[in-house]
Amino acid sequence: MNEKKLLIGLGAVVGVLVLAIIAVTAVIIAQGGGGGGSQSGAGTTSSARVSGELRLPGDDPLTLDPALVTDVTSAVYIVELFGGLVTLDKDLQVKPDIAKSWDISPDGTKYTFHLRDDVVFSQSGRRVTAHDFKYSMERAASPETDSPTADTYLGDIVGAKDMIRGRAKEISGIRVIDDFTLEITIDAPKPYFLAKLTYPTAFVVNKDQIERDRRNWTRKPDGTGPFKLQEWKIGERIVLVPNERYHGDPKPTLKRVTYQLAGGSSLTQYENGEIDLAGVGVNDIERIRDKSERLNKEFVEKPDLSTFYLAFNTRTPPFDDPKVRQAFGMAIDRKRIVDVVLRNIVPAAEGILPPGMPGYNKDIKGLPFDPQQARQLLQESKYQGRLPRVVLTLSGQGQNVGPVIEAMLEMWKTNLGVEVEVEQVETATFFQDVRRGRYQMWELGWSADYPDPENFLDIHFYSQSRQNETGYSNPEVDRLLLQARTERDQEKRFQLYNQVERILVQDAPWVPLFYGNSPVLIKPYVKGFQPTPLVTPILKYITVER
Amino acid sequence: MSGALPFIVRRLLAAIPVLLVVSAATFFLGRYAPGDPVTVRTGGKATPEQVERIRKNLGLDDPIPVQYVRYMAKFLRGDLGESYRRQGRKVSEIIFPKMWVSLRLNIVPFVLTYLIGVPLGIYAALKRGRWQDPTINAVLLFLAAVPTVVWMPLLVYVFVLRLKIIPTVGWNGFLSPSIILPIVVLTIGSFAGVTRVVRISMIQVMGEDFIRTARAKGLPESVVVTRHILRNSLLVLINGIIGSLFFLYTGSLFVELGFGIPGIGRETFEAISGRDYDLFMALTMIGAISFILANLALDIIYTIIDPRIRYS
Repeated sequence: MNEKKLLIGLGAVVGVLVLAIIAVTAVIIAQGGGGGGSQSGAGTTSSARVSGELRLPGDDPLTLDPALVTDVTSAVYIVELFGGLVTLDKDLQVKPDIAKSWDISPDGTKYTFHLRDDVVFSQSGRRVTAHDFKYSMERAASPETDSPTADTYLGDIVGAKDMIRGRAKEISGIRVIDDFTLEITIDAPKPYFLAKLTYPTAFVVNKDQIERDRRNWTRKPDGTGPFKLQEWKIGERIVLVPNERYHGDPKPTLKRVTYQLAGGSSLTQYENGEIDLAGVGVNDIERIRDKSERLNKEFVEKPDLSTFYLAFNTRTPPFDDPKVRQAFGMAIDRKRIVDVVLRNIVPAAEGILPPGMPGYNKDIKGLPFDPQQARQLLQESKYQGRLPRVVLTLSGQGQNVGPVIEAMLEMWKTNLGVEVEVEQVETATFFQDVRRGRYQMWELGWSADYPDPENFLDIHFYSQSRQNETGYSNPEVDRLLLQARTERDQEKRFQLYNQVERILVQDAPWVPLFYGNSPVLIKPYVKGFQPTPLVTPILKYITVER
Repeated sequence: MSGALPFIVRRLLAAIPVLLVVSAATFFLGRYAPGDPVTVRTGGKATPEQVERIRKNLGLDDPIPVQYVRYMAKFLRGDLGESYRRQGRKVSEIIFPKMWVSLRLNIVPFVLTYLIGVPLGIYAALKRGRWQDPTINAVLLFLAAVPTVVWMPLLVYVFVLRLKIIPTVGWNGFLSPSIILPIVVLTIGSFAGVTRVVRISMIQVMGEDFIRTARAKGLPESVVVTRHILRNSLLVLINGIIGSLFFLYTGSLFVELGFGIPGIGRETFEAISGRDYDLFMALTMIGAISFILANLALDIIYTIIDPRIRYS
């Protein structure tokens, strides 16, 4: 009897609790997302809609300092918040930004920029002058700033390298003629120099703001871009609002742009109407590409200027012999990998330059898939088919190696009879050791920083280049690359690069596997979104009709 | 209670070497592990001279023991250092808001776990040998055996995409519908454990002689259960509660990743893979200190609820 009472009592307690939970849940749902969440602040919650608001998935930037940015994640915000002398339009053409025009001296080394006199910083409203540009670029080149990109993007300017190395207090090649005229002298006629100035390293920053608070100024960046930073909560969201002082065209029409930084499945959020744009991964691509699928109408292919490749260390056995490299390349059926494994989410690669890159030539063909010749090449090589242990190194930790790698390993095994071992190295170490030439063979991707073939071919294959990770050295290639650096006829210049590309494809320090592509879904009420393969300001072209 | 204060002081003093060992182990293992924050920070784009200079500015080129002493000196002054990854951000301004998020996320599942788990465990123990006990056991085993990563997409599919009654993800504060699924997932995975612990401990106590004596005295069964069995099973339960208090703010990686919650679990994971030395040091130290304090609290509570235990 008593035991029963106790049980009833316990049962009642549990029952009441369950009811209470259900009731609370119901109340929370009834509040419908507007929930006055204790810490969610004054801003709207993710599911509430504000007219003219664009909601995007995003990641926390590592930095908002244009001089320090190296990653695409951070650059996405920086190009909307800051600006420079020149910018890239949606077709990747160099266009005026703060410089309204420029003259280039007959010898191609002296650039005179004529600045607009109506440009002001977004937060302080102070007018931007040529002095600000000199300050900004010298700040980027200063050892105190330690910009990882100054050498690449500003290194062509006379005296910039001296300042980067700490041997000069200023960049002698940058001269302020008057408040709105800036003269930049570079060390040789380099047609790609203007394209480099579109990269954040050369963007203008506000000296007053930085000197006031060197540590924290990027929390309220005072730039000249079409948008301003309103809120940034690490791991939660970034909110951009239009810069009403923006000088360029078109002016932004979005009321606000909210980046959801918290992660989670962006496709689910998209389908549920919580964000307006989402990337599509390989697991969903077939469903989305299916014409009968509801989401298919909202699907946009977005090519990236990137190439994924297999790289060989040309200084160590067995890949010091080009025949072995060719054999490994010919044993891989790229088309099949792309078709079967990647479900055609990306195109198979032929040459090194990706489509959309100036200088891209569709007539360049990669190594053919030819197992028989591959085996023969291996026999003809100086190893005569008896290879030392071959290791493919990948970046990543404790993950599965991925179906692309598995397919390649299988193809080497079947077509070459070579068992390749796989080694995974955690990302930070991986990049360090690729630089040090510690691996035999690795897989990586390269995304263009600026739209010029030099950014792929020269920096990876010029024998003296810092980023020549394969150790590739070919006097003929060096000669062509040096010639291309200063060739001022665009047509001829691209021909030189194509020549280089043909040699490289045959010599195979890289085996290009596939080109980058980021298919996205965009809500139909988002108009004017034009995906660009490089990080360029795009938000000002977008309107939300809702 | 007279010996309480010296006891606490003694225990706190004993904690110092523990903290030293934990901090040194984490610090040295972290620094000796391959990879380095400067490469992460510069995206592999800097010149070797630059990398050297940045390392120097960050003090990373000093011998590691020197770095350790410097770190500990700062730590003792209450300075947790600066994030290597998120440039210009103090460790404290990153981790405390995130711990606060994780704490609020975990508190409800924590309470629910015990609210559901304890009565269920008592019930199962009382029904031992009948059909209810094995049924509860089987269901709980099933719930606990299905991993979080399976629950998440399943629940999202049903409640978010099909039924459309809950918005998916994100963190919109404590009182928003998007917290429901994370709470469910976190609770499902853990209350089974509590139920089993309570059940076993109840059954153990039920077999003791003094229970037979109590029953033989003719005490009503409800009194036997509440006063004798429950009370004596409490120790194990309290042990569990205090032990898991610690997890309230350490975050839950999978749930935070899957549901897009900006909690400390994800930050910890990213800090380790990004070689954010100061950040993961701070997390380790905070973890170790709270673990020590929780155990101290536990010992004190023991002496209160169980008069047999004395300070010694």
